[in-house]
Amino acid sequence: MTSMTLDLHEDESRRAQKAADRWLIVGSILMGSLVLGPLGLPVFCRGIYLLHKAQTAGLSVRPMMVTLIGYVIIIDAAINSIGWGLDVFANHALITRTIFTAWGNLMDGGYFWHYNELWIGGAGAPGEKSWIIICIVVVFPMRIAAGIAFLQMRRWGHQWMIVTCWFGLITWLGYIINMTMYADVRYAGVAFPVIGWWLYNIFYITPFLAIPYLHTVNREIFSD
Amino acid sequence: MTENELPVGTTPPFARMHRWLKRGLFVCLFGLVIEGALTVPALALWYGWPSLSLTEICSELMKVRYSDDSLDCTQPYPLSGPPFGGAPEGAGQQTARDQWGIQPVPQYPRVGFRELVRIHDEREATDSR
Repeated sequence: MTSMTLDLHEDESRRAQKAADRWLIVGSILMGSLVLGPLGLPVFCRGIYLLHKAQTAGLSVRPMMVTLIGYVIIIDAAINSIGWGLDVFANHALITRTIFTAWGNLMDGGYFWHYNELWIGGAGAPGEKSWIIICIVVVFPMRIAAGIAFLQMRRWGHQWMIVTCWFGLITWLGYIINMTMYADVRYAGVAFPVIGWWLYNIFYITPFLAIPYLHTVNREIFSD
Repeated sequence: MTENELPVGTTPPFARMHRWLKRGLFVCLFGLVIEGALTVPALALWYGWPSLSLTEICSELMKVRYSDDSLDCTQPYPLSGPPFGGAPEGAGQQTARDQWGIQPVPQYPRVGFRELVRIHDEREATDSR
């Protein structure tokens, strides 16, 4: 390849990447808002399609796995932040009081039992508030930052993605063990106890799907 | 698959694993989005909307939670409420039934599909008598 065509190839790759990212970013913002998800999904899929097309055309764009992990991890953190942010900062809004206590009554008594009785308001199940606050103040913002740097193929993005995904394991296990310790509070008088909770929450395991990839990908593709 | 056909960063020994992880990620993405979008409408329907308004559902759930039929959700709640200083809605309630101990056991009854509508209508009928 002459230097001229190499430049051209690079330019076109960059252009294709940018075009795909525009769709992916808009789609992710919509999906991260929870309620606008159905609008965001087709927009996001269009971005994935553009990226796939560029890849098959031989352009050097970001690998599909990096794209998927980066965006899905960001969306996962965003959706969780909205839910738990409402529980901390808007626990007396009508939508929070109605939907959260309804959700609690259906699947997780932690969001029903003595809801809005704690001085700070919101969920009052033992230990719950600590998990909520540590996640929305520390874990999720760090995870979103890691996701952005990972999508930019930075080395620290790859490293912090590993950190945040392993931290995901701690939060999941800690959270589930805490729930189990206070199982009566969480599941007595609930319409769909335990299995309902698992069916609902299983889609949040994305950090665990990312871990094996992060440790087996050729890390030379991430640069400083 | 030859090495040239593999995605950048994927080596042959891990090609199959990466493919399966990709499928898993797509499932999670679609799951998160569809479930996230359906949560609010599905819960509203399950607990009695549109027969009951959101405020009425809120109040019915509060009556169940604190085993007290006289309670209603204050709507709108003053902005000075938690976490900005004021008292939470359930502050000082004495009616909730629990088996208290180091591991409390709630004693409220299980609420079934659209059962709040029936409970609400029955109370209205009794009240108007």
